[in-house]
Amino acid sequence: MAARTLSPLHPQRILLMALLLLVLLFLAFPVYFMLVTSLKSSGEAYRLPATLWPHNPTLQAYPFVIKAWSYWRTLGNTVLVAGLAAFGATMLGGIAAYGFSRMAFTGKSLLYATVVGSMAIPAMVTLGPIFLAYKDLRLLDTHLGLILVFMAEGIPVAFLTLFSYFKAIPKELDEAAAIDGGSLLDIFFRIIVPIALPGVAVTFLLLFIAGWNEFLFAFTLTITPSTRLLTVRLFEIPIRADANTIPYDLIAAGGMLILLPLVPILLRVQKQLVEGILAGAVKE
Amino acid sequence: MSSQTVDRARSRSAAERLGDALTGVNAIAYCLVLPAILLRLAFTLVPALQTFWLSFTDKSLMAPGRFIGLANYVAMLSDKTLIGSFGFTLFYTVTSVALETALGLAIAMLLMRQLRARWISNFIMLLPWVMAPLLAATVWKIMFYEDGGILNQILRDLGLISSPIRWLSSANTARGSVVLVTVWKNVSWVALIFMAALAALPKDVYEAAEVDGANAWQRFRAITVPMLRPTIFLVLMFRGMGEVQTFEQIGGLTRGGPGTATQNLAYYAYQRFFQELRYGYGSAINVLLLLLTALIGGFFAWRMYKASSR
Repeated sequence: MAARTLSPLHPQRILLMALLLLVLLFLAFPVYFMLVTSLKSSGEAYRLPATLWPHNPTLQAYPFVIKAWSYWRTLGNTVLVAGLAAFGATMLGGIAAYGFSRMAFTGKSLLYATVVGSMAIPAMVTLGPIFLAYKDLRLLDTHLGLILVFMAEGIPVAFLTLFSYFKAIPKELDEAAAIDGGSLLDIFFRIIVPIALPGVAVTFLLLFIAGWNEFLFAFTLTITPSTRLLTVRLFEIPIRADANTIPYDLIAAGGMLILLPLVPILLRVQKQLVEGILAGAVKE
Repeated sequence: MSSQTVDRARSRSAAERLGDALTGVNAIAYCLVLPAILLRLAFTLVPALQTFWLSFTDKSLMAPGRFIGLANYVAMLSDKTLIGSFGFTLFYTVTSVALETALGLAIAMLLMRQLRARWISNFIMLLPWVMAPLLAATVWKIMFYEDGGILNQILRDLGLISSPIRWLSSANTARGSVVLVTVWKNVSWVALIFMAALAALPKDVYEAAEVDGANAWQRFRAITVPMLRPTIFLVLMFRGMGEVQTFEQIGGLTRGGPGTATQNLAYYAYQRFFQELRYGYGSAINVLLLLLTALIGGFFAWRMYKASSR
């Protein structure tokens, strides 16, 4: 690319750098503003005009939200539901992807098209009947019910991502193991999964993040506060007894409490996440 | 050979084929692939078929539901709010997908040139991506506060506006604001996809074009865009199917308002089904949403297939 050969102070290069910084500012500013708003005192948070940084930084909003949301319990619910669903979808989708990457069978392309085609059915279209069925099956307001829905939601992603990882593993490896007398599932868990472990882990993380962020099903299929998940809490603004202004500091602190647990994942496995996103979307 | 014998031979081979399908290699393959597929279908195809069925009934919380033919669909034709939300859904989908694609490609090309401190820009890019759509809407709603809120404050300090922008309280700006939040949330994903596609383009074509004296814009038009065609259609397909069924941004920012200005199909269907408890009518709107989504997905999947097989 031409820009690399330009001197650092070339006008074109400066212009491009400025554009790049502008883009990054646009992407980062809302998150920055959420962070600083969560660190403001309740008085400063709704003082107008709004301030760009907290003048007297304080953490007082956090304990309030943690208590109002029963944060630790809600966090536990979210980790449980998103984690088990991500695990289940990774396993089922992975085993299916293994079958597709290794075997020829009747109706293969039809079944492949079925999985991919099912991605064109909007969640909203399935929500009503699932809600009515859950009412009859007593799955409403249960974590099991949510886990099943999240698993089904995650299967195409798990399938497509792992399919592209498994296709890259040479068949000779599992054929050799088959001669040694291993069953297919045996080969899958002892040979394929360890080799594709980075891909399997990234698939799990992608689905975990998706479950963490899911709102529509989590909101509609739960009723009592003790079964609710984190994103749903965003709809319940904690209110201070003595104030009738919108508590921006509390809303922002709530947002931070939903975002923060994911930040270590972003920092530690950033490259792998990007690879996983690409493996799921861009085939071949 | 009489025709009867031929028929019998055919039917026997059909039966044999069915037998083959259920034994040996096939049986093992089905054991591997069917659990995932059946679970997926139980939560997508089955409820979608039920939605079709419900859309021909007048089922509600109170009524068990009778078959009423196309009455729900006829009622939709004279439902002005529905027609409005259909229009807004189209406007919102087209605008946000177009902006995401154009901006995403531009950001990808900008970032391709940046070689140092990639992890910082990657981290910043992944922040909007990792946030729940409802969380994104919540954050922006704080910034959209109109009298003295941070966005209006910054724009006024920069001398760009003299009176505050009515981000969410005037119909036209509210439509734009919802698009803005969606673009912010999803442009990173688009940029990441384009960065991978750009990295895979052959370098020698660019060098040859440069030797021939083509400028940057000519190279972009004549080389980059044509070679990215399959990726562009892939982005349009995924983002189109995603934006057409948007729910959280609407619920978190405007709840369809002011009035019904930002009411879209998914939000309208949700209100009919879960607030008015009119299961039949809500399902009929969902059928429309399903057809629209499948149309977008199918069209771009077909264009992508054609573009990549050429």
